[in-house]
Amino acid sequence: MTIRLTLIAMAVGLVAVARAGHPAPEPPGFWTGPVNDPVPSTIKGGTVIHTRALAILIKDQNQPAVIVDVSNAPRRPENLPATSTWLPVPHHAIPGAIWIPGAGLGAPPPALDEYFRKRLAAATGNDLSRRVVLYCHERCWLSWNGAKRAIQYGYRNVYWFPDGIEGWRKARQPTAVIEPEATP
Amino acid sequence: MGLNRSSLLKVLAWPIVGGLVLLATLPTAFADEEYDQDRAARWKQLQESLFPHRQVLDSGGIVSIDAPPRALDAALVPIELHISGSKPVKGVYLVIDDNPAPMAGHFVFGPKADPRELKLRVRVNAYTNIHAVVETQDGQLHAATKFVKAAGGCSAPAGSDDAAALADMGRMKLRLLGEFTADKPMQAQLMIRHPNFNGMQMNQITRFYTPPRFIRSIDATYDGAQVFHLDADISLSTDPVITFGFVPHAKGQMKVVAQDSSNAVFDHSFDVPGGTPGAAPAG
Repeated sequence: MTIRLTLIAMAVGLVAVARAGHPAPEPPGFWTGPVNDPVPSTIKGGTVIHTRALAILIKDQNQPAVIVDVSNAPRRPENLPATSTWLPVPHHAIPGAIWIPGAGLGAPPPALDEYFRKRLAAATGNDLSRRVVLYCHERCWLSWNGAKRAIQYGYRNVYWFPDGIEGWRKARQPTAVIEPEATP
Repeated sequence: MGLNRSSLLKVLAWPIVGGLVLLATLPTAFADEEYDQDRAARWKQLQESLFPHRQVLDSGGIVSIDAPPRALDAALVPIELHISGSKPVKGVYLVIDDNPAPMAGHFVFGPKADPRELKLRVRVNAYTNIHAVVETQDGQLHAATKFVKAAGGCSAPAGSDDAAALADMGRMKLRLLGEFTADKPMQAQLMIRHPNFNGMQMNQITRFYTPPRFIRSIDATYDGAQVFHLDADISLSTDPVITFGFVPHAKGQMKVVAQDSSNAVFDHSFDVPGGTPGAAPAG
């Protein structure tokens, strides 16, 4: 009787989880679907980290982390009329982060992939054991893809921060306004 | 005096409960406050750069905005501007605060316009305030605000097939809404086929950014008299649809001229009210 009730309760629980649509299962490769969609709660080969732990991790001077923001950046159309106002909003980031737009695309152009690989190598001093943190926004696949890519490059201490800049700011952590790198 | 022990406890307990509730909500409240500060600072920055040395007054009942609080599609956010008509107006600016090119459009009304209702569809890149700033004939600026939740509209693909979109470019339709009566205002819906590529969309097959190409201006005239002039930018949605009011003095012709960023000019004339509403262009 108790077992039956437990089973029923479990079944109800499973249905509830499925209904909520959270979390998404890990895709076998990079995610090429809508960028702003429910994300998984795991990343194979890497570590999921949340705000409080990240705030501690990045203060660790003995093992300085490389923080990479892979949010999209606005691209100024070259034929925008001179009379148009081009004024992107200030981009708040985790202090010390480098911003590589496109590094988390499901299928980036090869030149961009190569840029990301080299940029990570430079930032980590060619040390595959360095901590690398990938993030963008909450409920955003770009950082998951970016982290997966870093893992594929061979980095062994990759952290994926799914809370994004929204979670970071909600926890009243400090930010810095940064500019995107000029990716190909 | 008449206060017994249990009611004293209740009186003391409520502020504690209230305090706990307040504490529980504090982190979010602080974050919201921070975003509110960001938005206020952004609007201040935009006022200074878009309307230098001018004072932007509150709406004063002159203008209001209707938009869905949460847009289903960030690349197609429907916006309605309502202008009271209590003061004669020169034009209206539509500002999408957090878009990288925030000035989405500037309408200047001509003598044949009925400016009271305008509808259009825009791209929205972030949770953002939208401002409609009306310029009255006496040179005052009045702004209405609306907060819209949508994200990613600027990099959303314009359509499934870039080549097909370009081949079809410039086709227009004009649909008359309501009955024609001479000298009475009526609404018309203008549809222009144009991908309005903003340069941020990636072609899913070639994996390169589609070069920007977008409508820069639209002029509508009725029998030679101006209805409106629109200066547009990359925030207009793919296949722009603009609903506007005009005052026909008699049967006549609505001429629409659109120019894009590659200096292509598309022009069509539509009979009003002759022919079937929404029929193929006569021009």
